[in-house]
Amino acid sequence: MTMRHASNGLRLHQLSRRVQQQTLLDELTLEVAPGEILALLGPSGCGKSTTLRLIAGLDQASSGEIELGGAVITQLPPAQRQVAMVFQSYALFPHLSVERNLSLGMELRGVSKSEITRDLEQVLALLQLEGLRQRRPAELSGGQRQRVALARALLRKPDLFLLDEPMSNLDAQLREDLRGELRTLLRSTGVPVVYVTHDQHEAMGLADRIAVLREGRLQQIGTAEELYNTPSNRFVASFLGNPSINLIDTPECQLGLRPERLQLAPAASAAVVDWSALEGRVCHREWLGDRVITHVDCGLHGTLKVVGDAGLANNPVQVRWHQQDALRFERESGALLPLTTRSQ
Amino acid sequence: MARIALLIWSLGPMLWQLYTSLRPTEALTGGLSAGPVWTLAHYQQLLQGDPPFFTYLLNSALVGVSSTALTLALAVPCAYGLSRIGRAASRSLSLAVAAAAAFPAVLLFLALLEVARDWHLANNLLALSLPYAGLCLPLAILLLQASFRDIPLELEEAAVMEGMGLWQRLRWVLLPLMTPAMASAALLIFIFCWNEYPIALTWLSRSDLLTLAPAMARIAGSSVFTIPYGAFAAATVLGSAPLILLMLLFQRQIISGLTQGAIKG
Repeated sequence: MTMRHASNGLRLHQLSRRVQQQTLLDELTLEVAPGEILALLGPSGCGKSTTLRLIAGLDQASSGEIELGGAVITQLPPAQRQVAMVFQSYALFPHLSVERNLSLGMELRGVSKSEITRDLEQVLALLQLEGLRQRRPAELSGGQRQRVALARALLRKPDLFLLDEPMSNLDAQLREDLRGELRTLLRSTGVPVVYVTHDQHEAMGLADRIAVLREGRLQQIGTAEELYNTPSNRFVASFLGNPSINLIDTPECQLGLRPERLQLAPAASAAVVDWSALEGRVCHREWLGDRVITHVDCGLHGTLKVVGDAGLANNPVQVRWHQQDALRFERESGALLPLTTRSQ
Repeated sequence: MARIALLIWSLGPMLWQLYTSLRPTEALTGGLSAGPVWTLAHYQQLLQGDPPFFTYLLNSALVGVSSTALTLALAVPCAYGLSRIGRAASRSLSLAVAAAAAFPAVLLFLALLEVARDWHLANNLLALSLPYAGLCLPLAILLLQASFRDIPLELEEAAVMEGMGLWQRLRWVLLPLMTPAMASAALLIFIFCWNEYPIALTWLSRSDLLTLAPAMARIAGSSVFTIPYGAFAAATVLGSAPLILLMLLFQRQIISGLTQGAIKG
């Protein structure tokens, strides 16, 4: 998706936050178009939640600019930003019923009674919360709490949606079921959405584009496919993909081999043009139902994970791959080497 | 077994006072008498005294309520501030507050007497709230601060994102969640004011303005020749009845407030 007409969207320009000597976020620049879902992905402490809090106005930026809908909002207090946020813990008011949780903010913002009633009915129906309106948050399940938190954010009628790991308090099954629903709902608002997560599946399944952060720095931004097939460096390559990418050292560089792009062949098979191969022994076999992951011990090159079955442990086996499927990283910096300089 | 012993230990003296207050004076002082075994004479004497005993109860209630209100009104903003400023600053300030709470109040009270004289605060029931609030404030701040801390920060941030200002957040989100802590703090303050003796003794001299503690001291010392056991016991019973009533009314909030603060997110 091109970002030519992002004037109504969200734009971060060299946004930084430093606390004392520590740089939590380092010159982050990115854009989110209206109706686009951007996932901020990274391990804990990478600056993704910091970014969200800066956009929300809960923390102050040390430098840089936040622009929303064409206006600079960097210095505005949170209340004036027209930004809605769904917190990781959902942060529902425990002493209020679902209905009051949803209406309190509107009431205090001075929305008229009739409008409150109308919007409330609409949102309750949309998120199937009608039967729960008198319940307290403690009497709701995790999924229901999440829906109430989403409803409260929708009623804010925001220009921008922020979600901070909204799925992390749900069990795995529910997470997968809700992904599609959440995506449809967020899409329907037509505003930019920034979604923080540390779960690559969630990011890939929900977002249009993913920004991978590490130690406060943006590593790469792009669609899930771009990130997966042409990661900008070793970190992005190993953060995405399950099982994670195999890294083996060669004299010139480090090779990144996706487990599902590797093939298993009988030991000592004849070499094929444009293919590389390593001989090894099966050391462990993971049977996962829909696929088998075979761990092959290749001596000096370490253990490779391969999607495919090669029988039981200790079987000798050959692992091979098409040379154009191997990613090449510079050993020290970990940066991806251009595909054209290949010389094998 | 231990519980029964504890019950007897704490309730026994109260029941003994109740028993004493209902016995005729002759029976209490060991004189022989042919009169009735039980009597309400002591209560009658108290309630028809000049001024009647109810005046003292009312005075104490007035002082208690106004002091409690004043203390909480001051302690809530202090505690909120302490729970929201940085950790280092909050720690040293909290230490100062704790030091104030630990300061022996008796040492203050000559100075307080001077204050009362200079500012003409003697014989003014509401003015008594000033020293009482001052003495209760440190403890109240510490109690409320702990309970502010127990409220997850995300809750307040959610309120901020909803567009609520500081007072709206306090009124609609934070204080309702602190009801148990507020109730227990309020009760502790109220009991302190109800029982306080030396300041009330020195600040109040008009007999119709006396609070409970100095009034009871007057009853005990009303006669040089006999000790009015019965009347004194009746005054004790009447004086503690309102406290027991309050405790019973608010016991749920107080227990949860004292044991665990406010809520878990």
